[in-house]
Amino acid sequence: MLIDLKNITKEYDNSGVVTRVLHGISLEVEEGEFLSIMGPSGSGKSTLMHIIGFLDRPSTGIYNFNNEDTKDFPDDDLARIRNERIGFVFQSFNLLARTSVLDNVILPLTYSKLENHIERATKALESVGLGQRLGFMSNQISGGQKQRVAIARALVCDPKVIFADEPTGNLDSKSGATVMNILQKLNDEGRTIILVTHDRTVAEHAKRIITIRDGMIVMDEKIANQIRNVPVEDRD
Amino acid sequence: MKKYFKQAWRGISASKSRTFLTTLGIMIGIGTVILVLSAGEGFKSYINAQIDAFGSNSVIIETVVPASTKARNSGSAQDGGSSSANNAVPIKTFKNKDINDIKNLNNVQNAYGAALGQQVVTYGNVSKNIFIFGADASRFDIDKGEIASGRPYTEEEDSALAQVAVLGHDIAIDLFGENDPLGKYVRVGSYNFEVIGVYARRGSFGYSNDDEQVFIPISTLQKKILGIDYLFYGVAELVDNNKSETTGLDIADLLRRNHFITDINKDDFKVQTQAQSMDTFNTILSAVTFLLIAIAAISLVVGGVGVMNIMYVVVTERIAEIGLKKALGATNKDILYEFLIESILLTCIGGVVGIIGGSLFSFIIAKVVQSQGITWAFSVPLYGIILSVSVSMVIGIIFGVFPARNAAKLNPIEALNKE
Repeated sequence: MLIDLKNITKEYDNSGVVTRVLHGISLEVEEGEFLSIMGPSGSGKSTLMHIIGFLDRPSTGIYNFNNEDTKDFPDDDLARIRNERIGFVFQSFNLLARTSVLDNVILPLTYSKLENHIERATKALESVGLGQRLGFMSNQISGGQKQRVAIARALVCDPKVIFADEPTGNLDSKSGATVMNILQKLNDEGRTIILVTHDRTVAEHAKRIITIRDGMIVMDEKIANQIRNVPVEDRD
Repeated sequence: MKKYFKQAWRGISASKSRTFLTTLGIMIGIGTVILVLSAGEGFKSYINAQIDAFGSNSVIIETVVPASTKARNSGSAQDGGSSSANNAVPIKTFKNKDINDIKNLNNVQNAYGAALGQQVVTYGNVSKNIFIFGADASRFDIDKGEIASGRPYTEEEDSALAQVAVLGHDIAIDLFGENDPLGKYVRVGSYNFEVIGVYARRGSFGYSNDDEQVFIPISTLQKKILGIDYLFYGVAELVDNNKSETTGLDIADLLRRNHFITDINKDDFKVQTQAQSMDTFNTILSAVTFLLIAIAAISLVVGGVGVMNIMYVVVTERIAEIGLKKALGATNKDILYEFLIESILLTCIGGVVGIIGGSLFSFIIAKVVQSQGITWAFSVPLYGIILSVSVSMVIGIIFGVFPARNAAKLNPIEALNKE
């Protein structure tokens, strides 16, 4: 089992006012799954993704990653897991400004033990169809291309899981379709994809959808016919 | 470590004008330190040149008011004597005979005695009230002053109370303008003196300016002008400068014998070697240098606070970037080092620019001073450069560590949400 959550809760203490965002979430994710986490704003889906992605720790409950209890992992170990095992794709791309496409993709390698940074980053960019944009600055490319750079950056350390938080939220439908295509391709290659979205159509690109409401999983469904976009030519 | 430098450099180069303004305080501080140290070296070279011109392997014999006399006169106890030139009490015991006896001591190559008087010197319609410097002819062998035209006076002329004069560079121009003074007669007091030589320009040394003096034989000054039989001071040139301390003691013994002094506290003279003069000078120079560097240090602290302020702003500006880096696997230590190195780089850039600026300014000062005919070596001491770079780094660490710690402690979720 790659991800095994048991009765996870998350509470925030704001000057003595305790707010519980997650109410005992239990979830199992196998290696190679394509999972969508759906839910309306404020449902706790992003909080859940942050906990699964080791950006945050649960208040209570057990989180086993790759069959290891992560409760007592120090911060540096969590940083290492984020670097080596996990790739993040954010809604607003989060590329470094005034920095080339290539250097943006190299960034995670900076904190890893991997070598041949330029070769790895070039290969990752080629895999998302941006092999010709290496020297472009991050502000010189379109939104769709920015998100593909972000995917290349998530891929560059060859992680087991890719977390995508509303990856099509800031994109037009064509660019969004391209991004979803890439994520499906990565899943086809054996990578686990966990997608957070509030959009049912986007969620149906996955093989499984869990729906969260008020901090609890209210539905866990397998998608028999996941949406498959016809690959479109990049016109960005 | 290279990766931290790369990230830090990216941060710095993103805003060049802010980097420049942030480091300005450090630049000024380090520039001032370099300027002060370089000026100190230049001043040292100037003093050395003056001492060389005076005779670097020489000792000076000054007349002083004995401590006991001084105490009686001033009503306060003094440990040592003070120069008679600074006192109303003239010391009349230092005579030409003392100089002749000193000349016969071991390790003494040559010696001269000197006295000074203020007189009106006239040529044509031009009159100047200046110092008349009387010395033995041997002064011309000991002193390194160059006679630009004519000749020095001789021992024979000194013995014969000859009325001959060698003019300083400036007084020659003041009196004669473009005309050749050689062979002309100037009036000193009520006597006419033939100008037999003119000095090349030397520049001033302390409160004495050789360029504005007239040099005449000591016997002529003593007997015809001042009506005295004593000397103000003497200079002895040594064979071996390494034995200057011993020779100084020999001279002191000799003078005590000649002056019938049995109590060392009643010495009416002081023998000073050039090494002692240099020690005194270096002590004063070090104190002044230290004071000026302490003032420059204030600028460095102010500059450091400026860097700290900007680093706090930079951390706030880059919260989203810090969050992203943490999400991509940067540890707290990685973030701490990146910001700390950025702070150190900022102060080091300021330091390096300060070193270059300070050196350039020192070079210009040296050139300007040299153009006035004064010996002034341009030199930036290596220890000054090492000190400046080290201080810059330390300031970067001290003033960068708190903003860097703030950055490192940021929660990645909160930081990411700032986007």
